[in-house]
Amino acid sequence: MSSLSAKPTKILNPAFLDFCDGTLVLDKWSKEAVERVFGNRIWTWDHRAEVWRADALQYPSIREILAINSYGTADRVPQWQPVVWSKTNLPTPRSEQRDAVSAWAESCRGVVVMPTGTGKTEVALRIMADQGCSTLVVSPIRDLMYQWHKRILDGLGYDSGIIGDNTYNVKPVSVTTFDSACIHMPKLGNRFQLIIFDECHHLPGPIRSDSARMSIAPKRLGLTATLERSDGKHVKLDQLIGPLVYRLEISAVRGSSLADFDVFRIPVHLNARERFRYDELSEVVASYVYERRQDDSEFTWKKLCAETTSSGQAGIIMRAYREKKSIEDRAEEKLRVLEDLFRLHQGTPMIIFAGSNAMAHDVSRRFLIPCLLNHCGKAERIDYLDGLRDGIYPAIVANQVLDEGVDMPAVKIAVVIGGLASTRQAKQRLGRILRRRGNERAILYEVVAKDTNETGRSRKRRKSDAYTGTRNRNV
Amino acid sequence: MLTRELAIATFDQGVLIPDRLNRISDAAYIGYAERMLEIYRDGQGRTRRSLHQAVHRVFSEQVDCPERRIQAFCKLLDDESEFEKDERKTIVKLRQSVFREAAKHHPLVVQRDALFESQESEIKRMIAAEHGMDWPQLHDRLFADLIENQMLKKLNGFEDAPALLSRYNVAQTQAVLFDAVKMTIHAQGDFKQILRYAKLARLMIRITKLRDHYCFEFDGSASVLRSTHRYGIAMARFLPGLLACRGWRMQAKLRSTPYRPPIRFDLDDACGLVSEAVASKEFDSSIEETFAKQWCEVSPVDWRLERETEVLHRGQKVFFPDFVFVHRDGARVMMEIVGYWTPEYLKHKAEVMVHFRDQPIFLAIAKARKDDTSRLFENPTIYYKERIKIDAVLAMLNAMLPFRHSRQK
Repeated sequence: MSSLSAKPTKILNPAFLDFCDGTLVLDKWSKEAVERVFGNRIWTWDHRAEVWRADALQYPSIREILAINSYGTADRVPQWQPVVWSKTNLPTPRSEQRDAVSAWAESCRGVVVMPTGTGKTEVALRIMADQGCSTLVVSPIRDLMYQWHKRILDGLGYDSGIIGDNTYNVKPVSVTTFDSACIHMPKLGNRFQLIIFDECHHLPGPIRSDSARMSIAPKRLGLTATLERSDGKHVKLDQLIGPLVYRLEISAVRGSSLADFDVFRIPVHLNARERFRYDELSEVVASYVYERRQDDSEFTWKKLCAETTSSGQAGIIMRAYREKKSIEDRAEEKLRVLEDLFRLHQGTPMIIFAGSNAMAHDVSRRFLIPCLLNHCGKAERIDYLDGLRDGIYPAIVANQVLDEGVDMPAVKIAVVIGGLASTRQAKQRLGRILRRRGNERAILYEVVAKDTNETGRSRKRRKSDAYTGTRNRNV
Repeated sequence: MLTRELAIATFDQGVLIPDRLNRISDAAYIGYAERMLEIYRDGQGRTRRSLHQAVHRVFSEQVDCPERRIQAFCKLLDDESEFEKDERKTIVKLRQSVFREAAKHHPLVVQRDALFESQESEIKRMIAAEHGMDWPQLHDRLFADLIENQMLKKLNGFEDAPALLSRYNVAQTQAVLFDAVKMTIHAQGDFKQILRYAKLARLMIRITKLRDHYCFEFDGSASVLRSTHRYGIAMARFLPGLLACRGWRMQAKLRSTPYRPPIRFDLDDACGLVSEAVASKEFDSSIEETFAKQWCEVSPVDWRLERETEVLHRGQKVFFPDFVFVHRDGARVMMEIVGYWTPEYLKHKAEVMVHFRDQPIFLAIAKARKDDTSRLFENPTIYYKERIKIDAVLAMLNAMLPFRHSRQK
């Protein structure tokens, strides 16, 4: 028996347009009919199910064509509904927020780039309020998902559904994470008319982008402070969300919408024990790389990483490298500097950004201040963040959890004691303390282990325009 | 299953070879596996971190053993273990209470002075005492709920060292499939079981009948639109089921990664990998078994009996008739036994029969159920009392011969 039964030669009625597992399915159309009506770019013949298949993303263009002449095809795809807000309680938008909303509203598709702290969330809430339709908000992590839930409740009086963090409660307005969206979009893709990607620079990537591709939403909004990715994949956002419709530079709002700020760099020395071990490990790594380069002049760090899967020796080198990083990261002196900074800013809420969970724990145990890590449950996180705002806790220490999006309006002082070389992380971390409140000036301290690789990472980080004018300060 | 980060594989001439421990060249691993199992079996009350450190020590003299392999063993052992969890959030409450108390004394300084008088060691001693501990105890309790600090309750799986090594080999092979964009299986037997496992893993199926075997291609709905490894996890989930089957060879197409070009992965039923998935019984019911036995005794001249050798399929609907009879002139007629009586089962069966109504299928139904079922099915039917009579089947087969021929025309 052949696996391919004959394709229909014309459009047989009733024909259907359906949503199926994150794709669109058209049946009972002949090849000639599909090509005549849609051209040959949208539909692909699926020999397995004997239907025509297309990305859900294509729905608006397909809809547009079928709106002119349906050819007897019933559109069974959208499962959305108008949403009526019980109350809207949004602050009067600032002029740049108004500009962003109207720039987006021209086509209802596109990316808005605004520095952290200039009210991206308000722009999105304003758009949601205006559109009044089934909406899904996708954000990178659980904390942000819950923050959106709260902001929608406060601003629009709607108790939105939650998809993620072991919850699956779908409502016409729902919040979710990138990972959950990607998993569930095959079931949910036809239920939302507007989809909002918060921190949308996370969207490109072969599997993650399915959450945009498998959705039929004709209205799409992307929000980010840092559009450009080092791998250049941000150009994909144009297809997945829409074009860049509005961009606000950090320099344009520094001191007006954003707090003005200073960046201080504090170098610290490794102590004798740390220095000895550090140099010992550096020697192990360097001599291995030197030896390998004798046979293979092209030998790179990337090759070494690949070799760890098969060679125990490469594994030992990797472990040495990691221990080196851990010494930089957890240098004892950093704790002493922290004590000085706590003394200096007593009575002012502070946030400490650590480079690793281990260092975050070290700080938390040393000063007995809350430590916000990925493992914290919802209630514990809220207690720490609200507690910091309300003055119950003097400071909190975090690793990457707080890098993005989580609002901390009360905090004006941040200390970075370890982290990546990426300028994006640096910008995002700086953004945490820049939400304007009165005329307070924000301060970012960067504590860096001297004469280690960390110095180089700090130098790279400060390539960001936001960091210009960094001063060195010895404490 | 392992995570992608723990996968170990090499590639050679376009073919991927997952890490695999071998009884002969890796004989030492039997001893390592025994020691690892001992660590977990005797490890009640030890933290995950300390268990992992102990496992690492097992390999301290084996410099050739890659780090990932050790971590993979830890993951497999953890997966089969139960750990204490802070269900009632007592540790969270302890932390919050300690931090709130300490906040009143912030900052805790090493050396007290006129401005800052909260000396670190003193305050810590005081707070610990309030919670009925000394500081070193509180230090350890403060983050006792973190995954790496959770304490082992017991190890549930792995009968012996070979079982752990065998699971390791299967797990590394599964991990290869995380990158799979498509899987093709050529099968000469166990069709029903292979397709059943694939359905369970929610894979989409394309079936082609070749001269002496079937070709199954598995991927997902979006695969036809673009090359995606989205369904690789489903394929990995499907693998243990496949390993329990016989008579197949498989080829997976893997996507490219920053470390390698797009590549192939091959496997067949002689690969020696063993999974714990269950092979199905040959017969679903005693009715079938008795019938097959009697048929052998009688062994009619004109008709040959085959068991589940035919896969009927249209689109994503697949159907395996219980018995296929092949006439000496090559004509095939199928018999399906309607063996259960739940409304869902009957409804499903009726739908399948409508779907494949152009096929020469007749039904065997218990006489007692004649009234319930007569309006459901259009197929020719024989009714049986205790067992299906060979005579009745032969009469039906001969009666259906012209049906077959007319259909062919």
